[in-house]
Amino acid sequence: MADSSGSGGKPVADLDSRFSNLAPSSTGRKKTGRFNRFDNPLLNWKFLSGAGIFGFIFFLIFLGNQFWDTDLALAGSSPLNMPPVGFTNWRDQEGIPEHPLGTENSGRDMLALLIVGTPRTIGVGVIAASVGMGAGILLGFMAGFVGGIVDDVIRLMTDVVIPIPSLLVLIVIQSALQREMDLVTMALLISMFSWAAPTRYIRSQVLSMRESGYVQMAQLSGVPTRDIMYREMMPNLLPYLAASYIGNMTGAILQAVGLELLGLGPQRIPSLGVTIFFSIEAAALLRNMWWWWGIPTVILAVVFIALLLINLGLDEIANPRLRKAN
Amino acid sequence: MNARTVLFVLLAVVVASFSFTAMAQDVAREDTAIFDRDGRVGPQPGFDNYNPYVPNNLSNGGLGQAVFQPLFILNYETGEIIPWLGESASSNDSLDVWTLNLREGAEWSDGEALDSDDVVFTFEMLGNPENAGLWRAGNVQTWVDSVEAVDATTIQFNLKAPNPRFQLDFLTVKIGGNILILPEHVWADQDPFTFKNFPPVGSGPYTLTHADETNWIYDRNDDWWGAKTGALSMPEPLRLIWIITGNDQIRTTLAVNNEVDSIMDVTLGAFEAMQAQNDNIFAWVDGMPFVWLDPCPRQLTFQTDVEPWDNPDMRWAINHIVDRDNIIEVAYEGVTIPSRTMFVEYGAMFPFIDAIEDAGMGLSSTSNHMAAEELLTANGYVRGGDGLWQDADGHVLNLAIQVHEGFIEKRRITSVLVEQLRAFGVNASAAVIAGPTWDDNKRFGNYEATTDWDACGSVNEPWASLDRYTSRHYVPIGERSSGNNHARWSGMNNEAYSDVVAQIGSLPLGDPEVIPLVLEAYQYFYEDLPILPLNQATKLIPFNSTYWEGWPTSDNNFNHPATWWHSTHQIISELRKAGM
Repeated sequence: MADSSGSGGKPVADLDSRFSNLAPSSTGRKKTGRFNRFDNPLLNWKFLSGAGIFGFIFFLIFLGNQFWDTDLALAGSSPLNMPPVGFTNWRDQEGIPEHPLGTENSGRDMLALLIVGTPRTIGVGVIAASVGMGAGILLGFMAGFVGGIVDDVIRLMTDVVIPIPSLLVLIVIQSALQREMDLVTMALLISMFSWAAPTRYIRSQVLSMRESGYVQMAQLSGVPTRDIMYREMMPNLLPYLAASYIGNMTGAILQAVGLELLGLGPQRIPSLGVTIFFSIEAAALLRNMWWWWGIPTVILAVVFIALLLINLGLDEIANPRLRKAN
Repeated sequence: MNARTVLFVLLAVVVASFSFTAMAQDVAREDTAIFDRDGRVGPQPGFDNYNPYVPNNLSNGGLGQAVFQPLFILNYETGEIIPWLGESASSNDSLDVWTLNLREGAEWSDGEALDSDDVVFTFEMLGNPENAGLWRAGNVQTWVDSVEAVDATTIQFNLKAPNPRFQLDFLTVKIGGNILILPEHVWADQDPFTFKNFPPVGSGPYTLTHADETNWIYDRNDDWWGAKTGALSMPEPLRLIWIITGNDQIRTTLAVNNEVDSIMDVTLGAFEAMQAQNDNIFAWVDGMPFVWLDPCPRQLTFQTDVEPWDNPDMRWAINHIVDRDNIIEVAYEGVTIPSRTMFVEYGAMFPFIDAIEDAGMGLSSTSNHMAAEELLTANGYVRGGDGLWQDADGHVLNLAIQVHEGFIEKRRITSVLVEQLRAFGVNASAAVIAGPTWDDNKRFGNYEATTDWDACGSVNEPWASLDRYTSRHYVPIGERSSGNNHARWSGMNNEAYSDVVAQIGSLPLGDPEVIPLVLEAYQYFYEDLPILPLNQATKLIPFNSTYWEGWPTSDNNFNHPATWWHSTHQIISELRKAGM
């Protein structure tokens, strides 16, 4: 705390040093030198371990898709209510190797469910975060750099959208939809609300960056506004954008899981949230079918931890003050 | 008296007044019977709708079990008709004039007398052609010519044609509920389509105390006419509560913790979990399969007015793809049987079902993919590269099945159906839809196919189910149906079918002419197959005897255990405090 309040006295200078450090000028980087080892994302242990976990999950999914029959994730494809190998269910049936992680009460194989459901869950986050961030970058830069009436309109829009309780609105929209919910629709619905926060953050970053020397120099040299925004300024913001992309993705997955737990997710090929919803609906807790709700919950937790680590790592790369604290 | 005594007396008065209010407002758990009700936890569009004649009312949330009383109740176990608000009903020899006698001394909960004028008012409201969209109105308008009050408790119904089933079909709780008599003094100036009747005035032993989106509380009216006159016995529970619990997890937890006494329906696995943790939980049958056979078999209803499902071949193709045994194995964990016909598999229906099966019109419980393939090919469909069937223009064969979100059972049937169809190359999908919307979509024809129980009606004779698909119930897409023939089945076969069904309708129960006529009508139905009967509906209805005993079981079979029907008055009157 003492550290941040100490540097808080001269924010502009601090920001300047931060961004000049990140500027593509290689000579500048050599001169300062101090933070070099942090600038390489591969050397941040949080980022590394988060990315490692993520990579491992996708490696397992890849292996699963190669070696496991993913059609077993469909209803009625396997015997019902089987426990994982080495365990028994409440009817004293033993787990069988054909279904190593057990099955649920519609005859879906848990292993196949995880192989199919995990990328679907992450996919919602990727789509929603990409759309949200894309809009956020576009609007945030326009608001911050162009200013004036454009800024006023965009700021008003974000101010309106941010306080809307999005989960509530999403529940209403999804219950009113009269067709099978699919992941892309769900992700797009979530992204309707996920653009506003990035827009506001990016705008504030752009506002402070607008005053820096190289931007003013570019303006004086007659570089078109679009190029200043996306060629000069955006590269400097990349670590920051990546961090907030990951944060956005976490938020989107959380919202998707929230909707799915209410039964508003895609039901035919369940994602992790829908699997947990089915297990709750069928009283899996009281039936001691821990593999049904437990395994997807653990995977979700691991996904969130990995995203959090990546986010923290990227944050440190983007923000020198966090690095000093370390 | 010193100051201290004054203070003490004041304190005592305050404490006494508090405990008095507490006594007046709180009813002990052991005096309360709590019923669970199907539905998703969340906003209930009809949570204050006590109008029995419009959709989304509280028919299974106390309206028909506590507030309004049925005239008669059919005993499923003996076949006899039990008098309730009505005392007796009889017909003339030609079966076209029926006379109903009400109980003497019946009263509404606001103290007004319940007499034949109320019955006449109710039937005239339903008989008014402007009110054809009200529940049961279509049937009343088909059969009832006029209603007159003979005296304060005697009502005469003059029918348009002889009807041997009038008492059963119009005055008796046969399935779910039937026409409920309304208080004329409350309803006379109301629009029956919009009036919510909240708070309700009824003739039952309970009055509404509280209603919100998940709880409905009724307290006993100790001045109830039934007990005063001795006509009916005063039920023991001082309070009845209906709650929406939402899913098996919550239901199971509440039941195990004795926080609910009656549960609407659970899956076999959830029931086994309950029994393992609470010895006081039981169901209709003591042992596998625990279930009671509900009179409403499950089916897939097609919208026969839209392409390509207007083509009987296409409906038959779907029938050949469907594997009924697999639906039962997965969706019901094995605890029901497939449907052979549109009828419920009750003993009294076997003569008709067997005759249909002997005539070669029984439905197979397994799939016949070859036959499906032939039909699709003959109609110009080919399998595309992705394995999906498509028509000559390359359009993939889709089938969107709408399903009511509140019922886990129907969602499970639908998910198995979808997998069976997709495995064969029909691009099927399940749309889980909010109850009121689902109901509206059916009534206005805004669907391709839906999982429902619309052939429901017959329990001891075939006419009631057959009649639901006759041409007189047909309305085009976009017009509100009367609640029958949602499939919008029409055409020559339907005309011929309707003529034969009308003949069946005029014959007395048990007439030997009925079976050949049923076979004739069924032949048209079988050719066109506007609906796919899937499986018999079983209900696994857990009861908890911790606080209340006397629940219906196959041993204590005073009647069936469907607690969401209007016959629940009888169940409530049989309840006794546990251990008394």
